[in-house]
Amino acid sequence: MAGIYVYSDQVDIAKEIIACGKSTAKPVTVLTLNGEDARALEDSGADRIRLITGSSEIIENYAQAIAGLLQAEDAELFAVGATPRGRDLAARVAGYLDCAMVSDVATIDYQNQAFTCTRMLYGGLVQQTETWQGLGVVTIAGGKFAPLKGAKKAPTDTLELAADTRVKLIETAPMVRQEVDIGRAEKVVCVGMALDKVEDLQLAKDLADVINAEIGCTRSIAEERHWLPVSSYIGISGAVIKPRLYLSMGVSGQIQHVYGIRDAQLIVAIDINEKAPIFKAADYGVVGDLYEVVPLLIEALKKK
Amino acid sequence: MSHIIVCYKWVLDEADIRVNADLSVDIGKAKGKISDYDKNAIEAAVRAAAALNGKAIGLTYGGSEAKLSIKDALSRGLDECYYLNGPEALKTDGAGTGRALAAAIKRINDVRMVICAEGASDTYARQTAPRIGALLNLPVVTSVSQISIQGELLTAKRTLDDCVQTVQVRLPAVVAVLPEINPGPIPGLKAVLAASKRPQFEMKTADLGIDLVPLSTVADIRGYVMDRKNLIFRDGDTAARGSALATALRKAGVV
Repeated sequence: MAGIYVYSDQVDIAKEIIACGKSTAKPVTVLTLNGEDARALEDSGADRIRLITGSSEIIENYAQAIAGLLQAEDAELFAVGATPRGRDLAARVAGYLDCAMVSDVATIDYQNQAFTCTRMLYGGLVQQTETWQGLGVVTIAGGKFAPLKGAKKAPTDTLELAADTRVKLIETAPMVRQEVDIGRAEKVVCVGMALDKVEDLQLAKDLADVINAEIGCTRSIAEERHWLPVSSYIGISGAVIKPRLYLSMGVSGQIQHVYGIRDAQLIVAIDINEKAPIFKAADYGVVGDLYEVVPLLIEALKKK
Repeated sequence: MSHIIVCYKWVLDEADIRVNADLSVDIGKAKGKISDYDKNAIEAAVRAAAALNGKAIGLTYGGSEAKLSIKDALSRGLDECYYLNGPEALKTDGAGTGRALAAAIKRINDVRMVICAEGASDTYARQTAPRIGALLNLPVVTSVSQISIQGELLTAKRTLDDCVQTVQVRLPAVVAVLPEINPGPIPGLKAVLAASKRPQFEMKTADLGIDLVPLSTVADIRGYVMDRKNLIFRDGDTAARGSALATALRKAGVV
């Protein structure tokens, strides 16, 4: 079957991409390595579900086989959910096909027999529109499209594919979530490098408690100072979040960090430097020393 | 002797890029730098070379300005550096980059590892390592946060979104490392001085005999400007500003 092929290791993202694919009126086939996901995808709007079986549990190991499948089936597009596994698989498939690939597309359209998409460069400063001819690969992050509901049930068939067995899975350890997943937090208080010492995280926690928020940080706080785990840092190479409220203290607002919060409903910043780039990205802000402003803000918020 | 190649990119410093009022993008004042995450990758290669008793070799693909990167790269502990020179590099895409780097790597002997950062700080496309692996038919491991090497066996921890995988692969392999793999320290004076004595080699893409035409074309480039209220409280004493913010947050219904 020609048309659009979809894969995501996260079934919710697969459903969203299927919906996007169906908007082009082309047939959509979804691939999965997981029987449970195959069942969950039955009413996703896909025309067909193909459950991959083979000797590896690592989806990326099927890249060469999937590339061959796409060619054999005359596929027009391979759309993959932008997760670590998805991006790896997608780029390998693009490598085996030696075809065009656009990563982390913000939008994708089908017009005049070609796909056109937009993506961000320079940490989110620049938006680029790209197009190509023939079979191409894109990765799409979750949350861009609404999934279809109650679509006609799609048939599932089993697809045996040869796996690359060179990379072997030894062990899988679930993420140790001592903290709440910052990506799912409704409200986030974010600390930046203007914080003097690790004990000052308490100030952030006090504020977070008053407004019922989780704590996040900038990349340097996690990777250089190691004050918070890597899973807490927000930015293009970390968590990209969409909370109702993002409130930063002592964050200058470098573009790579702002990329991680651009879809937040409300962005609020507290920083001593009135020229800090964060203020251009903010809905509300206070110029001032966070050590003075935050305690006063906490007090003001406590007064009902 | 084992050769560990680390691919790095000379990019424009995004801090110098300006978006004009009409959303056109002005890169006129932008200086070049080694992509932020490549500094971590270079250090990872230097450490891997030590573990394998081999040489850490830098490889960069770029236009004429990329030559400026070599001294910085060598001062980070690399034994040698290759500069793949091609004017088309400035307008290339993932496909073109993959082909060019794969072709260059083929010309270097005894390659045991190819290390790349997960993504470059300008595009963060995360395509390079997987594409190189596919083109050279080498195994690929991405999202790597930790590596250990025993003889021919590489054990890597992959930090994915929902778990940490431990995988093993026999070298040679292509590895894409996350910034958390190790720091990318600022070189000391001794290292900077040693850099000028280390071998540098230039290759021209025109000599590689590959198709250099990018597969995706750029139809438009414009600045992305955040469209936010920008209500910044700067006047009055601190208490007044804090109070004004609290009021705004209440009105917005977020507290």
